[in-house]
Amino acid sequence: MALCAHSVFAFDDAELDSLYRRFQIEEVEVTARVLDKDVIKPQTLKGAELQRLNALSVADALRYFSGVQIKDYGGVGGIKTINIRSMGSQHTAVYYNGVQLGNAQNGQIDLGRFSLDNMEEIQLYNGQKSDIFQSAREFGSAGNVYLTTRKPYFKEGEKVHLHAKMRFGSFALANPNVGVDVRLTDKMALTFDAEYMYSDGKYPFRYRRVLPSGETAYDTTAVRQNGDINAVRTELGLHHYYRTTGFWRIHAYNYYSERGIPGAIVNNVWRNGERLWDRNSFVQAQWQDEWFDRWNTRLVAKYANDYTHYKNFDERLLPSDNEYTQQEIYLSLANKVKVFNWWDLSLAYDYQYNTLDRLNLLLEEAPERFIRHSHWLSAATAFNIKEYLRLQASVLMTHVMNPGSSIGNQQLSVPKVTPGTFLSFRPYPEIDLSINAFYKQSYRYPTFNDLYYTDLGNASLRPELARQHSVELAYNIVNRSFSRQAVFEHGGLSSLSVAVSYYYNRVTDKIIAYPKGQQFRWTMLNLGTVKINGVDAKADMSLFLPLRFVLRTRLNYTYQTAIDLTNANDSYYGHQIPYIPKHSGSVVAALDWQSKRGDHYGLNYSFIYVGERYSQQENTIYNYVQPWYTHDLTVYGEWGIKRWWLKANLEINNLLGQDYEVIQNYPMPKQNVRCTIAVKY
Amino acid sequence: MSLSVSGLLSLSAAVFTSCRGDEVIYPTIGTHVTDEIRNGGLYVLCEGNMGSNKARIDYMNLKEGEYYANWYGCQNPRQMKELGDVGNDLQTYGGRLYAVINCSHKVEVMDRKARHIGQVEIPNCRYLAFRGDKMYVSAYVGSVATPELLGSVFEVDTATLEVTREVKVGHQPDELCIVDGKLYVANSGGYLTNRYDSTLSVIDLSSFTETEKIVVGMNPTRVRVDDQKHLWVCCQGNYNDRKPSVVVLNKGQEIRRLGIPCANISILGSVAYIIDNEQHKLRAFSTIDFSELDQPIDISAFEHPYGLLAETDVLYITDAKNYVSSGVLHCFGYDGKEHWIAMTGDIPGHLCRVSGEYMLHSDTVQHDTTALSPYISRVYEYMPAMGQFVNVLPKYEEGDDAESMCRKCELAIANNAGGMICLGGWGGYVTFGFDHSVQNNEGYDLRILGNAFLMSGNSAYGSSEPGIVLVSRDENKNGIPDDAWYELKGSEYDSPTTLHKVAKTYTREGDTLRNPFHTQPYYPQWIKEESITFTGARLAPLTENISGQSVQRILDYGYADNKPNTDLTGTSFDISWAVDADGKSISLPCVDFIRIYTAVDETFEATGELSTEITGAIDLHIARD
Repeated sequence: MALCAHSVFAFDDAELDSLYRRFQIEEVEVTARVLDKDVIKPQTLKGAELQRLNALSVADALRYFSGVQIKDYGGVGGIKTINIRSMGSQHTAVYYNGVQLGNAQNGQIDLGRFSLDNMEEIQLYNGQKSDIFQSAREFGSAGNVYLTTRKPYFKEGEKVHLHAKMRFGSFALANPNVGVDVRLTDKMALTFDAEYMYSDGKYPFRYRRVLPSGETAYDTTAVRQNGDINAVRTELGLHHYYRTTGFWRIHAYNYYSERGIPGAIVNNVWRNGERLWDRNSFVQAQWQDEWFDRWNTRLVAKYANDYTHYKNFDERLLPSDNEYTQQEIYLSLANKVKVFNWWDLSLAYDYQYNTLDRLNLLLEEAPERFIRHSHWLSAATAFNIKEYLRLQASVLMTHVMNPGSSIGNQQLSVPKVTPGTFLSFRPYPEIDLSINAFYKQSYRYPTFNDLYYTDLGNASLRPELARQHSVELAYNIVNRSFSRQAVFEHGGLSSLSVAVSYYYNRVTDKIIAYPKGQQFRWTMLNLGTVKINGVDAKADMSLFLPLRFVLRTRLNYTYQTAIDLTNANDSYYGHQIPYIPKHSGSVVAALDWQSKRGDHYGLNYSFIYVGERYSQQENTIYNYVQPWYTHDLTVYGEWGIKRWWLKANLEINNLLGQDYEVIQNYPMPKQNVRCTIAVKY
Repeated sequence: MSLSVSGLLSLSAAVFTSCRGDEVIYPTIGTHVTDEIRNGGLYVLCEGNMGSNKARIDYMNLKEGEYYANWYGCQNPRQMKELGDVGNDLQTYGGRLYAVINCSHKVEVMDRKARHIGQVEIPNCRYLAFRGDKMYVSAYVGSVATPELLGSVFEVDTATLEVTREVKVGHQPDELCIVDGKLYVANSGGYLTNRYDSTLSVIDLSSFTETEKIVVGMNPTRVRVDDQKHLWVCCQGNYNDRKPSVVVLNKGQEIRRLGIPCANISILGSVAYIIDNEQHKLRAFSTIDFSELDQPIDISAFEHPYGLLAETDVLYITDAKNYVSSGVLHCFGYDGKEHWIAMTGDIPGHLCRVSGEYMLHSDTVQHDTTALSPYISRVYEYMPAMGQFVNVLPKYEEGDDAESMCRKCELAIANNAGGMICLGGWGGYVTFGFDHSVQNNEGYDLRILGNAFLMSGNSAYGSSEPGIVLVSRDENKNGIPDDAWYELKGSEYDSPTTLHKVAKTYTREGDTLRNPFHTQPYYPQWIKEESITFTGARLAPLTENISGQSVQRILDYGYADNKPNTDLTGTSFDISWAVDADGKSISLPCVDFIRIYTAVDETFEATGELSTEITGAIDLHIARD
């Protein structure tokens, strides 16, 4: 958090002329080097780079990270979840401004709901954030995504910033967004952001199959139905940075949506009737300070209240009309002590209280309530041996208690202890070449659905264990010595960052649905074992070209085998688990040109590739899913007129109109466009 | 800029070679599962999981022992989005096949070969019953949904496939059956957790009205009629404290209650076979006195026994495994002996016996290449002509006959064993095959390996002992190479020096030649006859003296043991080269037998005769591991 505190006001510096501000990405890198608490750097997308991607939601942006698979059911309102290094989406924790987003009901966060409009930075950490000053719970997940919203930046004398954005696009997308930042005092600021989104979700999709001879077997184009969405998001933040080391802030978030669930397209069924209403609200407060230059303390408190109403209007199917209300109270206290300059210790304790109320509106029954208490206690230490070696070790004790419910029995729970160690070795301090490695264990706890879902839940589930081993070789060059203006005029390398990592993960006691003895009835069991071997490779480059052109490229490639080793008698033993491609990757190339008066014009091209995979556990031809890849293009212009700043942006997605599915029978949109006009003051 | 984008495109193309192609329809894959011969066929409806659209009809040809996965697919390749989502019932009636596809809300109507005739749209349809020219379909919802969630039975005219009448029944009706003009429908109440239905609706078929409801037991799902016109109703209970049971009714009156669970039931004659899914046991009960009968079929190793069909000679039962992967169809004799098994689609739930025996033309079926071996599996004939390695490669031992010599050849060259057999002088041959037909696809189909090598420094010459390759299809399907042979036309076929239709006789008496290295008899010792006559084509002598060495001219293409095994194309053959006896090109979709015979007749004092040697063969269309 210290880094954030600095960077917020770092830009007050009057030196930040318009040119300089353009390259704030590199600037943050430069300052971050000194302040960097992370032993292993995360994958990051932020600022202008993030805004120029062909991405509407956080989920779209995460596709540009390596080692990540996004499940996308298609369309603006379709669920989008992230699976890091094939361990399963419930092993991933998502943090909003440093505090974890919870979903005790099913453990999955729909990242399609988080707009990029208010987003400043997205970071992905494998293992955990390797900074020991964090809340206890942050040590508890196998992979972590940190979302950081826009922070106020004020130059000397500035009091108010306004921004407004209007986005239109295919599928009747209308998406206005307004925000205001007010400087209340010298050190205190208020931010407000509101967004509305509507889309009718009606996009054409095509199913074409050919005979082995190449002759068309069938070819049909239909329009996706019941994929409409209406959503409103409002956020309010109060930030007070009262000294360089101390701040507090309060953040309130509210999201409301109504949407259709378009469902699977199967023979003879072209529309479905399920609808969903959601409200996600939370207030979180953080306070942090440092004492005697040695002792850091952080306090976090959060209250969240989420409501979901699901109703199936398809009269042909099982009628259902359910309401779910989840509440969460979360408290965290973290402390870090600098024993010596080379040795830090931290201790943190978190407590969380969750409830889920389930009400079946079709039955005149009282709602069922499920309760969970969770305690986390972490201890961590970090050593820096000169410039060469940085070491961290953490240990987390987790105790989750489900005291039972009207139908579920009390789950016997045992505190679990999980270790994590992180290491970074830099053989040549003058060169930013590092060998990074980590080993970590983490548990994914059964969700309320796993434990208590009608008929399916199993209250005696154990948590699922993930063990991760990872080694990385990373090399960075940042051209810090040049005179910016000269290089900018004549060209040269601005920055280059290359990293290759190999990892071996093993997930055991995996919680899977397994049929019970009688007819078609399922239950959740700790049955699965998955072995994952993967290589992630990434290269980011930023190049100044003559005539004030800047080229940025970002390449990611992932190779993964994720093998089911549950039972040697299964027909799929040793097969790749569903929806994990062996090969996947992305290419982003952005060309930006700056006019002499400081206006910008640019083109952003991105290519995403997801290789062949299987829709079910058995890797047979009947479950084979072809690779998909999309080419996306953005053209933009940015103009500064006195204190006003104007941006226009046109995105063309799936440029070649590929008909593809990420999840079988959930067709994705063909070519589609979005147009955005934004004004800032 | 366009330059940089296209540059990136080509870069990405180079990085990711695996591209998306046309989506080809799901193949029909035939697997030979048994050599047992029975009559007729068996359709298997695999349900597939909800939302997966993977309902599948497989077909087993019981005469050929051939199991065709996704048979419906090849019969109806143009069916939009295939068969549909979640199969729920399969029956044959009036020479047609009917399949209920629950989540596609339709009854698929097919001819006896499973070719689509039409469909009847019925929402959330479940099971079928037939009488006269009418089909009766239970459905969880009626044409108008009611708040109390009552289901319906629809009457459908099988000629027009139109719904003619509808009657409201109880909650979530499942199976139905007809006895004495009355339709009995099991109202499961499956949607009403903790408030299951427990009745049978009785429908008078003439008025098509519900005349009464019989209380049977909680959650009845199956209702079948036996030879005594008793109804057997399987009640599932509430999966908790209310135990499942099987209730037997006579004229609507309960006459017996068996306190056993019943996942599935099949009644044959006076025996009711019941899958007890708690004890993982197949149980049998007399329909006459309801006593439990001895039943030796053991299904305790099944993961989830599911589909069941008792036939007079054998019993078919499926294992649905974990419901999200391929199931297995087992065929048992009533003595408990397992006859064969076949791998099905997901959740093989419904079996339907038919009289038709259908085959697919072999080029429309894609054989399951993962299970097939690319190597020789069988040597059918080994008949070498006299030669210095005959009786050695492979070794003849006292008592060997033609059959045992074939097995010795298999030990040498089948299954990639890497050994070698010798065909002796001109005319000597071997006939072998694979565990499948070798398809004649584009390009080369087959490699044949020998022991040829090139002369160092002059690749036009070397040790070539060419063999002519013949191919044959098992046209009469008897598994024996007694069908017409076709020569693969090699480079020397049209040469004026090549003599077609040559014959040569070797006699035991004439077996006098010996060279100092090989002193055993050269005449195949397991041959009882005193002489063997070979016929075929003969190539002109190839041996020349080059740089003081006696070497052969390497032929261009189309001969076994002519080019070294390291030469992939030089040892590969294309079935499209086949010609008939008159030299006319013939198109073979696939071949079952391959014969090779020594094509030259050259003998030297010191080195013996030129004789073709074979070390193996590979079907190029089967991926090797």
